[in-house]
Amino acid sequence: MTLKMKNNKYLNWLISAGCVLALAACSANDPISDLSLEETQVYMTDRDKTVNFKDYKTFSVVDSVLIYGNQGTGTALTEVDVMLLNRIVQNMEKHGYQYVAASQKPDVGINVAQVNNSYVNVVSQPVGSYWGSYWGGWGMGYPSYYSYYTVNESYWMLEMLDFKNANVVDKELNVVWRSQIRGEGINDKTLVQGMVDKIFDQSEYLNIK
Amino acid sequence: MKRLLSLILICTIAPLIYSFGQDNPQLYKLQSPFERYRHNSITVRGLAALPLGGLSDGYIDKSSVKNYSVALEWLFPNAPVSAGFEIGKTYFEKRLPRGMYSSSDWDISAVQTRTLSLTPIQGFVNYNINGVNSIVQPYVQASVGVNVVNYILYLGSLGDQYQKLRFGYGIGAGSKFLFKRDGKFGADIRVRYNNATFDYGYLEKGAPHVTASFGLFYRWW
Repeated sequence: MTLKMKNNKYLNWLISAGCVLALAACSANDPISDLSLEETQVYMTDRDKTVNFKDYKTFSVVDSVLIYGNQGTGTALTEVDVMLLNRIVQNMEKHGYQYVAASQKPDVGINVAQVNNSYVNVVSQPVGSYWGSYWGGWGMGYPSYYSYYTVNESYWMLEMLDFKNANVVDKELNVVWRSQIRGEGINDKTLVQGMVDKIFDQSEYLNIK
Repeated sequence: MKRLLSLILICTIAPLIYSFGQDNPQLYKLQSPFERYRHNSITVRGLAALPLGGLSDGYIDKSSVKNYSVALEWLFPNAPVSAGFEIGKTYFEKRLPRGMYSSSDWDISAVQTRTLSLTPIQGFVNYNINGVNSIVQPYVQASVGVNVVNYILYLGSLGDQYQKLRFGYGIGAGSKFLFKRDGKFGADIRVRYNNATFDYGYLEKGAPHVTASFGLFYRWW
């Protein structure tokens, strides 16, 4: 009887130890749950490597943000959108470009869109078509595109179009620089300006000063 | 971590040496059922894991302790060999501060969180140096089977996941310690080299690592 009680005590110990181990293993948290909003953000930039940005002097930017995704397409100009557009202008000027109105034939133009769809390759051509009409009926020639991200999310997409060397025959504009801002908090007012600064900071080749 | 590994290594090797100096069993003594019949054992282990080779050099060099395994073993009378199955989980994680990375045409600025989860489901064979009823039972072990590999590389909050079933193997040495002679309960320590063979992302030659474990076992016949 004593032996049996001792055995039960050991058995309870063994089971308890097993439970503790199992709980410890199961309690593994989401490995990115401790990231701050800024740390979740990913800043992606790409450029046409054949282009010398010192060839460009003037720029313009769209007057509103394209919203594209599964919920439909349209334009918006929220407080965050205005902050974003203004910060783009500030950064372009800081890099040596002169702002002009779209009607004054800028060397480059900047499109801004917020995409609510994870599959960029699905939405890239409609976006090009939409903004092509904004800039006066031009199509847009994209550099080769590849993305392996498969997460559904909203993200900002910026594109710089080359008006100076437009393909007049095919009415096509080249995208000479593009950027995506992904992650959490991309519509947070306190983060918007920093987001724009970072994509320009990591694109040193844009500096024409 | 290295101290822990050294301690467990010493505890593993010492019984091997000790085993050569044990007295012969007394003649005419009735053997216990564990010596007379095939019997079973279940072992629950907690593991500390240390990355090696390509895993350490190219992906995660940080050790981990939130790992576990459960093993079911069959032991045979008058035979130094036992066999069984073991299932467990080993998890590695490392955070890198914001940095620049390249992918295809993109320059990417992101905080990287690297994770690797391995769930080995393996059969093993032990060569037991002492009898099944010795207080100290050193053994060497070879295992083979599969690993459920779950590799997730996060850029910020974006994850790139690779999840596959891949070949895995291990080789190690350890020792069991009965709490009392003829008893059903005991402790187990083991050091084992493990690998899962796959080629993805930062890991071109699988995920070699060594585990040091402490466990408790229960045996019955």
